[in-house]
Amino acid sequence: MTGDPLEEVRARAARLRGRTERVRLGRITVRDLCRYAIAVGDDGYAVAARAAEAADRPVAAPPMFLTGILSWQDGPPEGELRPDGLGVRESPCTEGLPVRQVHGGQAVRLLAPVEAGMTIHAERSLTGADRKRGKAGDFVVLGLRTEYFDEAGTPLVVSDESVIVLGDADEA
Amino acid sequence: MKPEPGTVCPPLEFTPTRVQLFRFSAVTWNSHRIHYDQEHARAEGFPDVVVQSTLHGEMFARTVLRWAGPGAVLRRVEWRNRASAYADVPLTFSATVTAVREAGEGHLVELALTGTAAEGTVCAAGTVEVYVPSG
Repeated sequence: MTGDPLEEVRARAARLRGRTERVRLGRITVRDLCRYAIAVGDDGYAVAARAAEAADRPVAAPPMFLTGILSWQDGPPEGELRPDGLGVRESPCTEGLPVRQVHGGQAVRLLAPVEAGMTIHAERSLTGADRKRGKAGDFVVLGLRTEYFDEAGTPLVVSDESVIVLGDADEA
Repeated sequence: MKPEPGTVCPPLEFTPTRVQLFRFSAVTWNSHRIHYDQEHARAEGFPDVVVQSTLHGEMFARTVLRWAGPGAVLRRVEWRNRASAYADVPLTFSATVTAVREAGEGHLVELALTGTAAEGTVCAAGTVEVYVPSG
């Protein structure tokens, strides 16, 4: 490990480049979709979705549903969370380092409709790690790509997001 | 609908409550403490708990789909976070048509997006592409 936490983040990212992690999301339920919609204040969606379900009509997911979910894992247990509350998997390349992270932004391409009842998997990869200099000091921008597919392998959604990793002044 | 460049969508006004931020974190399995733990958020330099980035994306999508009407299909949404937004601070999500092109029985419409806090800070900005059927 290098003495500079941000350089260590970059070194770890370099080792992950080119690797793809497959994540099983499982079967999407109407309840998953309705809970998401109600959490964002779209109560009307839930009423319409439950009516469609009762009538045996397809229930389309809110467009931003898949990419809005940070993690599809069961865990980790509370004792394994980072001090900021994130799991190691949600904070790539930073385990054990005195850094913190914020979300920089996201680009979402919606290729095909997502509906309740689909069984979905995702492929996740790290696409870049660029060190930059800002007013408050250096930071690293991690690029993450997540591609979502249905059971037949049809591409549904592609998400490219940037995660900004900052040196933690309190711990440095 | 026949969209024209320069058309401004009706803005979406949204004031995220603490309960809403907690529930959004819960339903998206996002345990980052800056979104529900005020003490931790302050320790990280924020004045209050922080609105999730993906909630900005959701509000951008709804702003555009509400304007585009029935049958509209979102094709692409992208945004960059420029400043943090906080619980109980009113936000306004706006969209303006920047380009329109024919596509099948309708149009592909591009719009510029901004999410602005009550005091005028732009918290997020981006673009969206939506298919809008004719008629």
